[in-house]
Amino acid sequence: MRVPGLGRLFRWRYARPVLQAPLLFVSVVMILHGLFGPTLAPKNLATTLSWLHFRGVLVLVLLCAGNFFCLACPFMLVRQWARRLFKPRFTWPRALRNKGISVGLFVLILFTYELFDLWSSPWWTAWLIVAYFLSVLVVDGFFKHASFCKFVCPIGQFNFVASTLSPFEVKVREQDVCTRCQTKDCIRGRREPASDLVTIRGCELALFQPSKVGNMDCTFCLDCVHACPHDNIGILSRMPGTELIIDPLRSGIGYFSRRKDLAALAIVFTFGALLNAFGMVSPVYAVERWLGRMLHVSIEAPVLGLIFTFFLVAEPVLLLGLAAWLTRAWADKASPASQRALLPQAVRYAYGLVPLGFGMWLAHYSFHFLTGLYTLIPVVQNAVASLGQPLLGEPRWTLTGLPANVVQVIEIGFLVLGFAGSLVLTYGLAEEDSPHSSLRVFLPWAAVCLILWTASMWLVFQPMEMRATLMSG
Amino acid sequence: METWPVHASGAATTRQKLREHRARNRLSRQGLARGFIGFACAFSVLMSSCSRSNKSSADASASVTIQHEILPQPVRVGAATVTLKLADAAGKPVTGAHIAVEADMTHAGMSPRFADAKETASGLYQSPLEFSMAGDWVILLHVTLPGGKKLEQQFDVKGVRPN
Repeated sequence: MRVPGLGRLFRWRYARPVLQAPLLFVSVVMILHGLFGPTLAPKNLATTLSWLHFRGVLVLVLLCAGNFFCLACPFMLVRQWARRLFKPRFTWPRALRNKGISVGLFVLILFTYELFDLWSSPWWTAWLIVAYFLSVLVVDGFFKHASFCKFVCPIGQFNFVASTLSPFEVKVREQDVCTRCQTKDCIRGRREPASDLVTIRGCELALFQPSKVGNMDCTFCLDCVHACPHDNIGILSRMPGTELIIDPLRSGIGYFSRRKDLAALAIVFTFGALLNAFGMVSPVYAVERWLGRMLHVSIEAPVLGLIFTFFLVAEPVLLLGLAAWLTRAWADKASPASQRALLPQAVRYAYGLVPLGFGMWLAHYSFHFLTGLYTLIPVVQNAVASLGQPLLGEPRWTLTGLPANVVQVIEIGFLVLGFAGSLVLTYGLAEEDSPHSSLRVFLPWAAVCLILWTASMWLVFQPMEMRATLMSG
Repeated sequence: METWPVHASGAATTRQKLREHRARNRLSRQGLARGFIGFACAFSVLMSSCSRSNKSSADASASVTIQHEILPQPVRVGAATVTLKLADAAGKPVTGAHIAVEADMTHAGMSPRFADAKETASGLYQSPLEFSMAGDWVILLHVTLPGGKKLEQQFDVKGVRPN
């Protein structure tokens, strides 16, 4: 916030809508082009921007800065306009105040992406964006605060988990200022003294700044920054990942170690990264055909369901269960790790695997983004030309991106970074758990990290194969 | 035109403020409605222009039939040959056409392949093509007929196998 220009922009009350407006425009263009433009994915803005550029930029910004996509989220701009027409009346049901729905939707999106080959269909991609807008309007039309962001949005959950490894965080500058603060505007919102009308909103995600820890559930909306009367909240640098090895009581979240739903989200994030990449390489088709023969089915959905169940349920249960059991057996008898049941043990260490998952997402998405970096240029040229005048020139379809062998080095770099991050985090957890036998406690988790990293490296070296007809041929 | 009360100083009562707040809401509702109508108009214009362009290309392609064949089968990563047979409505071979062949993967961001088909016999055109990656491909044919009439056609090459 002290960076010249940027700091002033973020402190400005209308910074968010100004950042959201261009993305809303792009979203509308993507919807229109997806529904009425070329049916071929490489020539359509909906598919090119969604599956190449958006995902690539998203993970790179999360790695280098923070959750700035949620800050500029176009869905929230539409929600703001809609809330001028109708005010939500209900509070989000207590029983659903967890990540259950969003984890389910996250898995559902990964599943439909494979089943319906969303990457190859501009039409379905456009409808996915439309469905997103409608979901935001329905959920936040009925329920107060940022219920959609906190409990529903699968992209948001992805960003929340990944941003635990970001170098920036929205946090207070000096705790003493917050201790002396009487109004607590960062959570209550700034109000007019006479009417008590809220003029600047407080945090809609129930994150009270003085006791907020890390980036989990933070959309970088900057409401708290604008509401704070002492200018004591900013976007500040920090050590990435540290929030995953500490376990204080977090405002709006509670203890990480008691949140099985959050651990499930971290597991789906990590193992889903490998699964999503597995869906794009040649061996997946051999596995599907083999499963199809074994089960005597020729429909893709049940076979894909089985693969998903293996990767997102059986494999994590087996690996984390075994590691948790060994941790308990090998830990110093006086340490908490030796007393803990298997499930809380797995929950505690599951957060340590997030860097591995993020490394895989980075490797996968940056591959598509960097190897297809310039493909946006001819697609935009073509879209403009289709309006009647080739104002940007004739489409240069030969433009692609960086060579695959160069990008592969970058991919390996991300995977090594993720592996190192997970080793550091799980060792940190082990050391805190059992100071006298930290190495023995760490070993099972190091083995899990090594297995996942080896699988990631194997995936990166597999020939890519993007096929819609998985069960045939 | 609608007007609403404006107070002269900052000493407004809560009731006044609420009245203003409602008036502002009314105005923003009207703005939203106007925006929606504008968006709907732009939407329908775009729709109609799209449907027009589709129709003309369908008319052009209706008079010429294109048969295609790719060898070797099954198609694998590497070199292949596309053979195209052009005939008019009466079944007579169409000679002297220019056919630009474009091969795209179904995933965005992959490098497309381009080649020109050469006429090897009356109405028969052949083009070499390099499939750089396994998966689903779409072949686009940009055909210019002897009279200058242009048409486009596409066909799928599903499941190109890895080597």
